[in-house]
Amino acid sequence: MTTSPFLIMNNIEKAFNGVPVLKKVSLTVVEGEIHALLGENGAGKSTLMNILGGVHQPDHGSIQINGLDVRMSNPRVSQDQGISFIHQELNVVADLRVYENMFLGSELRSKLGFLKVEEMCRQTSEILAKLGVDINPKEYVRNLETSYKQLIEISKALLHKSKLIIMDEPTTSLAEHEVKRLFELMRNLKKSGVSIIYISHKLKEIKEICDTYTVLRDGELVGTGSIENENLDTITKLMVGKSISQERLVQKHSFGPVVLEVNDLSSQGLYKNITFTLRKGEILGFTGLAGDGRTELFESLFGYRKKYTGQIKINNQLVKIDHPRKALEAGLALVPKDRKENAIIKDLSVIHNMSLSSIGHFEKAGFIQEKKEKDRFHYYKERLNIKVHNPRITIDKLSGGNQQKVIIAKWLEVDTDIIIFDNPTQGIDVGAKHEIYQQIVSLAEQGKAVIILSSEAPEVQKVCHHIYVMYQGEITARLKGEQATEDEIMSYATGSKREAEKIG
Amino acid sequence: MANVNTIKQPNPQTSSTKSRLTWLWSEYSVIIAFLVIFMAAAVMNPRFLDINNQLNILMQVSIIGIVALGMTVVMLSGGIDLSVGSVLVFVGVISVLAMNATGSIFVAILTALVVGSFAGFLNGLMVAKGRIASFIATLGMMAAARSIALYIAEGGSISGEVSGFTVIANSNLWIFDFPVIIFFVMTALVYVLMHKTRFGRYVYALGSNEKAALLSGIRVDRVKIGIYSLVGLLVSVAAIIETSRLNSISSSSSGVQYELDAIAAVIIGGTRMTGGRGKIMGTFFGVLILGILNNMMNLMNVSPHLQGFVKGLIIIIAVVFQKRE
Ligand SMILES: Nc1ncnc2c1ncn2[C@@H]1O[C@H](COP(=O)(O)OP(=O)(O)OP(=O)(O)O)[C@@H](O)[C@H]1O
Ligand SMILES: [Mg+2]
Repeated sequence: MTTSPFLIMNNIEKAFNGVPVLKKVSLTVVEGEIHALLGENGAGKSTLMNILGGVHQPDHGSIQINGLDVRMSNPRVSQDQGISFIHQELNVVADLRVYENMFLGSELRSKLGFLKVEEMCRQTSEILAKLGVDINPKEYVRNLETSYKQLIEISKALLHKSKLIIMDEPTTSLAEHEVKRLFELMRNLKKSGVSIIYISHKLKEIKEICDTYTVLRDGELVGTGSIENENLDTITKLMVGKSISQERLVQKHSFGPVVLEVNDLSSQGLYKNITFTLRKGEILGFTGLAGDGRTELFESLFGYRKKYTGQIKINNQLVKIDHPRKALEAGLALVPKDRKENAIIKDLSVIHNMSLSSIGHFEKAGFIQEKKEKDRFHYYKERLNIKVHNPRITIDKLSGGNQQKVIIAKWLEVDTDIIIFDNPTQGIDVGAKHEIYQQIVSLAEQGKAVIILSSEAPEVQKVCHHIYVMYQGEITARLKGEQATEDEIMSYATGSKREAEKIG
Repeated sequence: MANVNTIKQPNPQTSSTKSRLTWLWSEYSVIIAFLVIFMAAAVMNPRFLDINNQLNILMQVSIIGIVALGMTVVMLSGGIDLSVGSVLVFVGVISVLAMNATGSIFVAILTALVVGSFAGFLNGLMVAKGRIASFIATLGMMAAARSIALYIAEGGSISGEVSGFTVIANSNLWIFDFPVIIFFVMTALVYVLMHKTRFGRYVYALGSNEKAALLSGIRVDRVKIGIYSLVGLLVSVAAIIETSRLNSISSSSSGVQYELDAIAAVIIGGTRMTGGRGKIMGTFFGVLILGILNNMMNLMNVSPHLQGFVKGLIIIIAVVFQKRE
């Protein structure tokens, strides 16, 4: 290629409160390439991108665009240089409509200064259609599924005519077919000369879409090159320092008595006729496409949603759960998806986030014992390998994957007999993902009953004894974990196939 | 300190000292502001440092201070309570009536505490169960409580007829007036409540992310009701002091604009309007700052009509500083 690089970041250094996070990192992106930025949780990927996006200032180092030195002193400058940024955490405003979110800060106005609502709606529909999304541009974002919110974030970046798009884990809440659409779009962008920096922990995606890669480890550049010449295993090794087995984690073993029995649960417009049982020691997987109703189903079980019909039995007792607290008392916990919205208390410290649902464990005579909390946190820090220098800082200072680990620690600490994980590995690196699934399997071996909701078929295949596939609010299949194939799951999830008879 | 410098990477000492300074500022800006204002006051007027003047300032802020503690808790939860001034008068009127009827100071105090927390409880009920915005709910309470107080007292004052009631606010321990001691004790209690108990943790959590708090299994509704009841309770403590001080309460002029002073103290103390972030100690110093400003303006003979302007300015400056983070 004779093109001069579009972007050069040179020897970037950055420290937070005296702790170095980036050490002389350089990154080069040429025009029209998709460049993967890889590394473990906390390696410094988002920080590097935040520097490029003008959110943070580097302590040292320079940035060149088309050969010219640029100081990204604030996000506006970066945007003016033709860079759009899809952040790791969703930034949509729930109380605005879809089109208002899309055009936030760059609203279209007529000559008289009035908003051109119809025009904005038209453009919104157009761009969403490219991603295969059909939602009303006037819908309030708060009423939308997480995956739609993520698609809105992506579309927002596409709206501007950018030369470089930073995508920091854009697919964490997307289902397979949505990812496919996104990739199609990315290929078209690439053809028209747009460069993309793509951050993801899903190596399959990297292999499929990216041309080149750069790997960071503990804030240092450890490798860069072309994807074609590498296999995934070498890249994994570069990232986490070891290779990760792709084998099924869960071994066949016997189950105890039924602990959870759900009978003919229905909720208008969300899900219908849901029936299943869960036994002690069992791991069930629920998968399907976005909008299949599984999240709402389990939010109902957890008492967050109250409008439903049908029966729920826990340990053979009919229960009426109308508040999450009651669910916890009945021995059922839900680790929600979309941590920023549903799980992170961003003004509380890392430790306090960990202990929030189980403060009783740390109390003595009504007072919280900080020492005990801290010790407990250190236990989880070791066990889940949470990367944090000072656990008294607020949790939003952690890297995305490490925030997720704290959330998982929080629910492990609650220690209920039934644990439901909704998209538990959102943003977690390959190494840690493996460890977390091992944790889940060992929970089951200790006699807990586990349910995992995930849109990633390979994940549920790896750890679940049985897999339920949902389509438009109904269970369309119940498959054995070791027999299910990805294609089979897919065909049930898209509604093209459906089991004739129901299996309890 | 030398070894610290050698350990450090060649990398930016300047920027790390800078970040340390910003950290210091963000954590302790209220105390720094307090010290600056305190020293400025001392330089501007020698009478300021007089011990009697200092004690006087403390005495003057004690009532608003107690109210502001409650206001901090509501504002940390993301709400606001505009009814504090009116409820204070209402509580004062009812408890003086109860005292005069029974002749018992104990009954007066008990009535005050019950009536105050009940008014707060109603606020909490409206906010938590009725899902009414706290601004609206407490605005309603503000109008209603004042109106009932005016009606009962026929627009005038009600005086206590039991001797000894005034002792509460007009005696002292060593050099400190009783109200000041009550203010300090209340500050300590609310501090412990907010930083050492689960209630406090829950307040911060729901002020920061209510949905996540609910999904963490927190009984958000109950916590809210608890918050507003607590404010009511603190307001009734303030009401007892206010009434005892002059042995009477005026249904028309007592407690006027207390909500504004309390909110001002909370904001100056660094609590974020939208909840989730702030400290009791911040409010404590915020109250003192307001007290010093009032005192200075009196010492320097600033027209009382202009004092509101200065206060307004200070609030706005405080908020501008907060925004920078
Ligand atoms: N504002 C901040 N203040 C203090 N430390 C921070 C801040 N932002 C990031 N860090 C620290 O910098 C390190 C790198 O974080 P970064 O978010 O760049 O990681 P990442 O590679 O994006 O990880 P992930 O895959 O988990 O998203 C982490 O250890 C994090 O704790
Ligand atoms: Mg990140």
